Amino acid sequence: MSPRTLTHRIALLFALVVALVLGALGVALDRAVDAHFREMDQHVLAGKIELVANLLAKARDPAALDLLPQQLDDALVGHHGLALAVLDADGRIWFASSTETFPHPLLEAARRSERSLITWSAQGRPYRGLAARLPPTGGQQGAYTVAVALDIRHHAEFMALFRRSLVLAMLLAAIVTAALGWAVTARALRPLREMGATAASISASRLDARLPAAGLPPELASLAQAFNQMLDRLQDAFRRLSDFSADLAHELRTPLTNLMTQTQVVLSRARDAAAYRETLESALEEYERLARMIDDMLFLAKADNRLLVPQRETVDLGLEARRLIEFHEALAEEAGVTLSLEGEARVSGDRVMLQRALANLLGNAIRHTGRGRTVRVTLRQTGTAAVIAVENPGPAIPAEHLPRLFDRFYRIDPARREGGGEHTGLGLAIVKSIAEAHGGGVKARSEPGLTRFELHLPSA
Amino acid sequence: MKILIVEDEPKTGAYLKQGLEEAGFVTDLARTGPDGLHLGVTGDYDLAILDVMLPGMDGWQVLRALRAAGQTLPVLFLSARDRVEDRVQGLELGADDYLVKPFAFAELLARVRTLLRRGRTPSMPESLRATDLELDPLRRRVTRGGRRIDLTAKEFALLELFLRRRGEVLPRALIASQVWDMNFDSDTNVIDVAVRRLRSKIDEGFEPKLIRTVRGMGYVLDA
Repeated sequence: MSPRTLTHRIALLFALVVALVLGALGVALDRAVDAHFREMDQHVLAGKIELVANLLAKARDPAALDLLPQQLDDALVGHHGLALAVLDADGRIWFASSTETFPHPLLEAARRSERSLITWSAQGRPYRGLAARLPPTGGQQGAYTVAVALDIRHHAEFMALFRRSLVLAMLLAAIVTAALGWAVTARALRPLREMGATAASISASRLDARLPAAGLPPELASLAQAFNQMLDRLQDAFRRLSDFSADLAHELRTPLTNLMTQTQVVLSRARDAAAYRETLESALEEYERLARMIDDMLFLAKADNRLLVPQRETVDLGLEARRLIEFHEALAEEAGVTLSLEGEARVSGDRVMLQRALANLLGNAIRHTGRGRTVRVTLRQTGTAAVIAVENPGPAIPAEHLPRLFDRFYRIDPARREGGGEHTGLGLAIVKSIAEAHGGGVKARSEPGLTRFELHLPSA
Repeated sequence: MKILIVEDEPKTGAYLKQGLEEAGFVTDLARTGPDGLHLGVTGDYDLAILDVMLPGMDGWQVLRALRAAGQTLPVLFLSARDRVEDRVQGLELGADDYLVKPFAFAELLARVRTLLRRGRTPSMPESLRATDLELDPLRRRVTRGGRRIDLTAKEFALLELFLRRRGEVLPRALIASQVWDMNFDSDTNVIDVAVRRLRSKIDEGFEPKLIRTVRGMGYVLDA
């Protein structure tokens, strides 16, 4: 069974609550009206008994007694549906109005001299009755018992009508509230449906769509805001990803174009062995470049999928930095660049990965430093982190490029994209992914005359 | 030296065979796991090169069966997947080395030679020569044509590597690993610069030139 809609549920709940409340109210009312009728009936019946008692008390001799039935009949005139019985001390019926229809349960009650109000039905009619034993007076032998009954058909009819109207009103109210609940909920949920429709219409090509947050109730406004923020992040990630695949295609196309062109040119006519050799050697260089790029891409893909797990050991960054500086010494000397190192730090991390990160930073710095200048490596240990900073003198990098320097294939000058052989344009992205795999991060700062890259790593 | 190659990819297998034979090895090529295992158990090989993904049974299973049959020959794995678990599994099973495709053939050759050299008694430090170049590891002296040449410690180590592996093409990654103990792919041309500087000291003004560039592969010191 599929879950009911929110509108359904709320409407149903409304109807249920109204039905319950009205139902309880109806029962209470019904009781009250019924009790009121009983009280009224009791009052009438008790009055009649008193009247009979008075008449009996006045009839002090047998002659008067003989007259009594006539008087009783007179007293009952105009009281439609009222029945009266008087029983003598022996329990025989001494007087009874309308014997044909006289309710027997009342006589029973009278014989038992019950003083309580009883209700019964006879010959399809409902009756209510009261009986009383009268103390003997004057010349009477023994006590008389008087029983009075009232045909309460009209009460019962009224009650039935009353109950019918009550149930009808209840049903009607429930239906109306259900409809009302439905309408109100549907209206309240309309913004939600609109949000849903907008969300449904968002696709990769329409990632710029946003939910209108203005005019929404506060509960939904925060949802819309959160949703929009999610879209912002998605759009950014998606843009980076599609830039990345475009760049990747471009980066792969360059060596492939070289390979195809030179192979086709060389094959277009017969050449000597040396020419073929030259072509194959050149092709090999392109293959190497492709292979290195694929390796780097795989490394980054692993980092993206959190599969890059550093093998933890205590790494003396000072020692590694000195070894890396020694490794790059020849390169730096050729470029006329001096390498310097200050400070010490230790971290728990993957030695090879950290070497690679620092090597990429060093290589990058040497590439961008002019002859006769110095690349400074500074290590700093703070309470919670180790910071490796690589600074090189040079023109300031415009602020808008700084956050994207660590993006794959990102180059400040797009014209330099074709880039030099060794350098794949993934070096800084790899630095970033290594830092992140260690739970750290990277930073780039630039001001006129100095560019500084920082690698932050949680301390050992 | 006999090498068993188990590789199902036809081109890769054929070129591995050709390349290794031209480098002076005797080779047999098997295309499936069971064939490879059969050859490995019955033949007398000095080294096996196993692809991980093989029809019939994979490289791991072949290695396990070989070891179970008492074969202790060194095994080098080739894999298109570079996963830490794969490496760990391979090394646990007793693989001796692991290369991820695509690899440079020079790299493979260098590793094969390293594996074959392993286990042999290391040669006592004695002076190494190539034509009129002489390197004395004990006294840490290099002379060419009788003239003393001053080298830095790393240049000395680099030259010693070239001399010990004369005639072998040394890929840049192998040089970085052996001389500087750097086991990652540098995105700079550090090695080229270092080799160029060594060359300027030992080859400039001398004939014949000893260190030769093999384009796209690495460097070799000609015998």
